[in-house]
Amino acid sequence: MDTTRRGFLGTIGKVTIGAAASVAGASRSATAATQSGAADRSVAHWGMVVDLRKCIGCQACTVACIMENDVPEDAFRTHVSVYELVKDGQDPAMVMLPRLCNHCDDPPCLPVCPVEATFKAENGEVLVDASKCVGCAYCVQACPYDARFINHETQVADKCTFCFHRTQAGLLPACVETCVGGARNFGDLNDPESEVSRMLRENEVSVLRPEMHTNPNVYYIGLDDVLDGRIAGDAAYTPPVETAHRAIHEEGA
Amino acid sequence: MGYQVQELVGTVHEAAWLPWAVQYFFLIAVSATALLLALPGFVLGREGALPASRLALMVAVTTGITAPIALLADLHQPFRFWEFFIYTHRTSWMAWGAWVVPSYVALTLGFAWAVHRPAFFQMGQDNWRFAWLFRLLSLGGSGNAFAPLIGIGAGLTALGILTYTGMEVMIVRARPLWNTPFLPLQFAATGAVGALGVMLVLERSLCRDGNLEAALNRRLAIALGLVSVLGGLWFALALSGLSPRHSEALASVAGFPTWQKIAAWGALSIVVPFVIALVLPRRSGWVTGLIAIHAAWMFRWTVFMGGQAVPKVGSGLYDALMPTGLSGLMGVIGTFGLWLFLLIAYTTFVPWTLAGRPDNTRTATGPARSI
Amino acid sequence: MTNRRNILKGGAAAGALGTFGVGYADTVKKLAKGKWSGETPRNQHLTGNSIPPEFSIDPVTGDVTPNPDQAMSYTMCIGCTTMCGVRVRVDKKANKVLRVAGNPYSPMSTDPFIRYESSVAESFAAMAQAGKGQGLTSRSTACGRGNAVLEQVDNPRRVLQPLKRVGPRGSGKWQTIGFDQLLEEVVEGGDLFGEGPVAGLRDIRDLEAPALAGAPEFGPRANHLVWMNCVDDGRDNFVLRWLKQSFGSNNFTRHGSYCGGAYRSGSGAMFGNFKSMPHAKPDFSNAEFIIFAGTAPGNAGNPFKRIGTLVAKARSDGDLSYVVVDPVLNHAQNGPSGERSRWVPIKPGTDGAMAMAMMRWMFENDRYDAGYLASPSKAAADAAGEASWSNATHLVITDPDHPRHGHCLRGSDLGLEIVGEAYSDADPFMVSSPAGAVPAGDAAAPLFHEGMAETPAGPVAVKTALTLLREEALSRAIADYATDCGIPEDKLIELAREFTSHGRKAAVSSHGGMMTGTGFYNAYALMMLNTLIGNLNWKGGTMIAGGGFPENNGPAYDLKSFPGAVKAKGLPFGRNVPYEKTSEYKAKKAAGAAYPADGPWYPNAPGLATEWMSSLVNGYPYKAEALIFRNTNPVYGVPGVAHLVDKLKDPAVVPLIISIDPFINESSALSDYIVPDSVMYETWGFTKPWGGVATKATCARWPVIEPKMAKTAEGERIGMETFLIGVAKRIGLPGFGEDAIPDATGALHPLNRAEDWYLRGAANVALIGAPVQDATDEDIDLSNVARILDDLKATLKPSEWRKAATIYAKGGRYENIEHSYQGDRASYAFNAPMLVWNEQLGSFRRATTGTGLPGTPAWRAPEFADGTKVSDHYSREDWPIQIVSFKSPLQNSYSVGAKSLLRIVASNPVNVGRALAKAHGIKTGDMVRLTTPGGRLESVAVVRDGIAADTVAIEHGFGHRGFGAQDITIDGATLAADPRLAAGVLLNDIGMLDPTREKAGVWVDPVSGTAVRQGLPARIERI
Ligand SMILES: Nc1nc2c(c(=O)[nH]1)N[C@H]1C(S)=C(S)[C@@H](COP(=O)(O)OP(=O)(O)OC[C@H]3O[C@@H](n4cnc5c(=O)[nH]c(N)nc54)[C@H](O)[C@@H]3O)O[C@H]1N2
Ligand SMILES: Nc1nc2c(c(=O)[nH]1)N[C@H]1C(S)=C(S)[C@@H](COP(=O)(O)OP(=O)(O)OC[C@H]3O[C@@H](n4cnc5c(=O)[nH]c(N)nc54)[C@H](O)[C@@H]3O)O[C@H]1N2
Ligand code: SF4
Ligand code: SF4
Ligand code: SF4
Ligand code: SF4
Ligand code: SF4
Ligand SMILES: [Mo]
Repeated sequence: MDTTRRGFLGTIGKVTIGAAASVAGASRSATAATQSGAADRSVAHWGMVVDLRKCIGCQACTVACIMENDVPEDAFRTHVSVYELVKDGQDPAMVMLPRLCNHCDDPPCLPVCPVEATFKAENGEVLVDASKCVGCAYCVQACPYDARFINHETQVADKCTFCFHRTQAGLLPACVETCVGGARNFGDLNDPESEVSRMLRENEVSVLRPEMHTNPNVYYIGLDDVLDGRIAGDAAYTPPVETAHRAIHEEGA
Repeated sequence: MGYQVQELVGTVHEAAWLPWAVQYFFLIAVSATALLLALPGFVLGREGALPASRLALMVAVTTGITAPIALLADLHQPFRFWEFFIYTHRTSWMAWGAWVVPSYVALTLGFAWAVHRPAFFQMGQDNWRFAWLFRLLSLGGSGNAFAPLIGIGAGLTALGILTYTGMEVMIVRARPLWNTPFLPLQFAATGAVGALGVMLVLERSLCRDGNLEAALNRRLAIALGLVSVLGGLWFALALSGLSPRHSEALASVAGFPTWQKIAAWGALSIVVPFVIALVLPRRSGWVTGLIAIHAAWMFRWTVFMGGQAVPKVGSGLYDALMPTGLSGLMGVIGTFGLWLFLLIAYTTFVPWTLAGRPDNTRTATGPARSI
Repeated sequence: MTNRRNILKGGAAAGALGTFGVGYADTVKKLAKGKWSGETPRNQHLTGNSIPPEFSIDPVTGDVTPNPDQAMSYTMCIGCTTMCGVRVRVDKKANKVLRVAGNPYSPMSTDPFIRYESSVAESFAAMAQAGKGQGLTSRSTACGRGNAVLEQVDNPRRVLQPLKRVGPRGSGKWQTIGFDQLLEEVVEGGDLFGEGPVAGLRDIRDLEAPALAGAPEFGPRANHLVWMNCVDDGRDNFVLRWLKQSFGSNNFTRHGSYCGGAYRSGSGAMFGNFKSMPHAKPDFSNAEFIIFAGTAPGNAGNPFKRIGTLVAKARSDGDLSYVVVDPVLNHAQNGPSGERSRWVPIKPGTDGAMAMAMMRWMFENDRYDAGYLASPSKAAADAAGEASWSNATHLVITDPDHPRHGHCLRGSDLGLEIVGEAYSDADPFMVSSPAGAVPAGDAAAPLFHEGMAETPAGPVAVKTALTLLREEALSRAIADYATDCGIPEDKLIELAREFTSHGRKAAVSSHGGMMTGTGFYNAYALMMLNTLIGNLNWKGGTMIAGGGFPENNGPAYDLKSFPGAVKAKGLPFGRNVPYEKTSEYKAKKAAGAAYPADGPWYPNAPGLATEWMSSLVNGYPYKAEALIFRNTNPVYGVPGVAHLVDKLKDPAVVPLIISIDPFINESSALSDYIVPDSVMYETWGFTKPWGGVATKATCARWPVIEPKMAKTAEGERIGMETFLIGVAKRIGLPGFGEDAIPDATGALHPLNRAEDWYLRGAANVALIGAPVQDATDEDIDLSNVARILDDLKATLKPSEWRKAATIYAKGGRYENIEHSYQGDRASYAFNAPMLVWNEQLGSFRRATTGTGLPGTPAWRAPEFADGTKVSDHYSREDWPIQIVSFKSPLQNSYSVGAKSLLRIVASNPVNVGRALAKAHGIKTGDMVRLTTPGGRLESVAVVRDGIAADTVAIEHGFGHRGFGAQDITIDGATLAADPRLAAGVLLNDIGMLDPTREKAGVWVDPVSGTAVRQGLPARIERI
């Protein structure tokens, strides 16, 4: 069982550049933890900690988001990529990687917006004012995570809002509420007592595309660095939309 | 570290900048570079440069009008274009572009008007069906000493166009293929290639003056030379690793067969016209011109559509490289349609052959061109 | 000249402008629309079309302010057989389900689940920022499918009116008919399709005439009505009352034989009951090491969602490490968890070899729990402080000539005085002792013994059960086992060592992976590993389910019996009884050769849907006159059944087929009539977890939206209950109509509508043991039980309705989590012995061969019905690869209509291992052809490393022909086929018949009679 034993241990218990370079929230919650924090705590700063060890790839988050936010047919605000990864001779292993807007503290999508329709809200959400958006899609180009899209129904930029409408009502984001594995954890990074702050303190975390220095507020536990950016290898098979692919079912032989 | 990944579940992102954007960036670059090529004749007043400058101005004006119209179509909320002028986000190159474009178009049109004012005036004098119109057009005078001034203004905004279009795309770090310092220069150089290509084609169809053809071919060769030098440097930097950004750009597409084909194709469409333009500068205008136009357009299609086909986090490639559906194609064809229309109108109603060195003493000689 | 040029120019100009106009039209339209070139979203600023929150909850106080436009009700998901308790969010005005989340009271959706005493308001707050751990601690979930299946309610292809076929069966053409016409035709029969007379249910319900002339053992003709059912969705008690106690047919079966029947039977062999097939699940949260062999936690498994949650937690926050033994790497494994979660590839169908190898090593290295196994009785186990016991020490008669060969030695065999029947429970089992065989007492007994027992009839060769198991295990070298299962010897030993290094905090779990040609013995062997370490009933070991609060026999109403109930009689249609009981046997015996029988019989199996298909098309043991498919789809689900379907299409074979189903699936498509039925959130029912929950839990389902089916003249929604009540009344069957339901005082109550049954069931659930609290007005209001309040009040007694209301307000009744354990033992223990030797198994004879099989776990090559080896028919040379099926993590067998799921995964390319792909020059994206003896299919290949050698794996849930994958014509109007619904391929289409059965039947396991979908012999080629 030796090969299996080596397994993935490499990846957990390793600080990636990400953690070093841009764990804004992590350091924030750390400082918040040290000081009385009153100032910091007054306003919540939302963040998400995704524990990849807990993700079972059930896509409940993906579908809940679609239902909650009426995401149009051809787009996702969040989804979970699934990979089979073989690392230097180890046994193949499954990685389910939930993706959504990182609500970056340095969001490349924001400065490019010509009309200031994209902005950072009080609690750290990066939002789009749909009535202001001219639909130039410059932000879509600028986001390093493919987290934005033009909503073909409303013709404006669309993306994860961290379920702004729900958090305002004291509720959890839809994808978090329904996370079967408990991988998605959401809360106030300014509150050292919060679950997410605790998780950031107690675990090695990393972020996607740390080299972009976007200071994401979505952190990952157990993210292998070969998966933290654009991923080599074949894309998942998708059949031609209009027709299901050929399959003859034969009776008898 | 050796590893192998097979994506089992992923998503596909469609291109958010449509073929309209390709058209805009193509036309506006052609327009701006053409405008600059028109200056020697009409601003510096070099008699010998006039034939070329006339064609250049024609190109600058027609593409200059078409480009913003294509741009508007690439906005998913076109009616909200006015917001660009209400909330200008200083950190956004696009926001600045929103101011540069109209100034450029206005100055270019003003310049063209000034250049042709004497001819307009002249045609207003003879008695014929549309004389009244030309009297209006000439604003009852024929003086155009101020033309060079407007020309300089137009020239400056043309530079503004080349800068902002280049920077707007270049600063997008999320797209390695765009995020290379060379991109603005490459846009300008290929823009010139496109402009000269169009001028050659127009020369063949409107002037048939072998010397002009040869002159234009010579300039085309220079522009193409510049393009290949930039291209060569681009690759050198990428391969040598001297510029990580270039290396990343190359890495983002290298290894995909489609992209190898594209690279080869691109190289050919630079080298072939270059050689022809040098070897037989006469009677090759059609060929060199058309290939040049194709090269300039193709460069943009590849950069924009191809660039958007590169996933930022996923595996493989998205299939944005091919125009998505008929609507995408119609966008392309449609803008060319408008442009063609403007060329016809220009050659029909504008006494462009009479455009001369701006100077208030001189009055147009010879009969007004029959319509 | 000039003019011509101008005209040309003009033309060109016009043309150019024209093309521009066309190309620019969209932009112009957008401009014309003004500020919103697209649709104006609900919220014009930040949140677009997101639905308004269901309520707002003060993050500090937890005060709930409901959203008057939405209802939040606790009911049940049926997105798969797991049947979780969920919270459904309804747009009241539109009567539309907006979104689904979990029910925090329910262990199926929440861990840890909240106290049952919590008010509904508190249950809402628990999942919000105000809740424990900012709502994360008891967040309650629905899985991806559970979030999507709400789309099934509004599925455009739902059946809402009774349908009658037009033209031949399966032609896809239907006409809508009225409810009364439906009843009239199915009850009275007649020339219904212009194809000749069809017997109606009234005639078929004949309790006198025999089902088969000259074979009284098969009971009356009423048995000619046969009922195929999916899983118990919480309405089976109603069905069984109608079918068995009213109609008088004994023929009811569920899908077990093509679900995980082989595993359940193997488990049943050890737990000592082949009919109820008890099974235990690992204590996922407290185990230290689990081997999942043939079940894929988090990818599928039952309860899917709960296991997914618990295993994810345990491998990250807890002490669990586990190994998934599977030909396919899937979501059960988790890379980021490192060595906590490992994948071991195995050759399909060879788990028996793996398990026997582990046993051999355990025997040879004394790594089994001798102390535990030594207890010969419950008393001994109690005395030894054990939580369960086994028959390891019991003596078994091994003398082949002895009439009781294969049975356990009993007191009466030695002529001991016993009170009561010989071989009854009163007749003691014997263990060895220095003084010879003695009755099992309350002290430890020798584990191993081999010798002679002195009986009045002379000495008899006997061995202890464990001796027999050890012999079986030691019959082959570990190296040989290794070659058979493809797991290297050292890895097998490593597995055995690790498994035996955690005391009782280790477990083996299985399920669908056992659906192979030797699945029964593979499962028995795997389960036996649990017994060898004595982990049953221990915290961290294996545990049986806590069960539920039965709705049909509670203190308030007796839903089990009623005046005039009949007793259904006769051997079952599926031949799951001893062949020796039949007249055929007697006749053949008289004729000199009792064996082989005309077809296989399965005395050690429960009802077998797989065998029913064979019985149906062959009329063996007798002919069925009417078949009812109820929410079931064997035509899609049974491998190889395609070969039988043509016969089923012939009305002469089964004259009347009725489906009760909301959809036209592959099976209901073959029926003569389709009775519409309610979908999930529209329907009633009570279910208990099928396993993996240590506490008592009953989930209550109720119509939280107005059902969509058409109404009867009386204004009742047409559905299963309406239909059965209607038929019962028309024929005049007992137990329906007025005076049908006795209450505790014996007073009778009516059964005229579903509510009469289910609301009384709710009262029972509420009143069992210590009654639940009354529902407060706030509970009723917040959970929208107000919807059914009038019915509650009208149907139930004043003392009952508020308690029943609590059951619906909280989506069921759930024992609090602290009742899971008593100390370090499971609160709900299984007390019967674990059978190391199963004498029923060890003594039966296969009807088709007359030969016997081992009574302990064993590893044998797969055989067809006539006892010949499968490999003799389909050699490795001709069929070098094997095909297996694994559940889609997203789809189940009927969720394809929930279109959101297809957005995420649109098809199921076949998974090919890298080495195999290389050998055939196959690359990801290539088309390949798979051929089995049962057929062939073509599909796209995905090349992966996570596939066992020479194996191809097909994800289950695609390749549909029902549900709208093909055209459906109703009343002349055609709903065109949607190719997206047909995407992908179905392994079952290339499933196999057993070539040795002259009465056609699909390939099944010889003991459990369960369908073989794993390890189909096959060929692959690139095309
Ligand atoms: N996502 C999802 N969840 C579900 C369902 C669903 O359709 N989708 N259905 C529900 C139902 S009805 C059931 S019964 C359960 C079933 O749950 P499971 O039994 O866990 O699922 P299966 O896919 O039937 O089989 C489990 C695994 O057995 C593997 N296997 C195949 N052949 C062999 C073999 O020879 N040996 C071994 N060791 N493994 C083998 C398959 O690759 C598969 O991964 O899931 C329930 N939950
Ligand atoms: N190749 C292969 N074959 C398999 C499996 C596999 O993994 N691979 N899995 C096997 C397993 S584990 C099982 S359990 C069987 C399942 O097979 P079955 O139990 O025979 O059928 P299901 O597909 O569950 O069909 C249940 C039907 O109920 C109907 N239905 C759906 N939702 C509702 C509802 O809300 N209300 C009502 N009233 N009806 C509804 C639908 O028409 C659906 O077809 O398939 C087995 N077949
Ligand atoms: S993830 Fe993309 S869209 Fe989200 S904030 Fe960062 S840059 Fe902007
Ligand atoms: S699409 Fe909308 S949000 Fe994005 S940059 Fe353009 S205006 Fe801003
Ligand atoms: S937070 Fe809300 S919007 Fe963002 S991914 Fe989750 S559900 Fe979708
Ligand atoms: S819901 Fe949770 S467990 Fe399921 S896929 Fe999404 S993140 Fe993973
Ligand atoms: S597991 Fe998912 S689909 Fe199955 S019942 Fe539960 S929530 Fe529904
Ligand atoms: Mo199942």
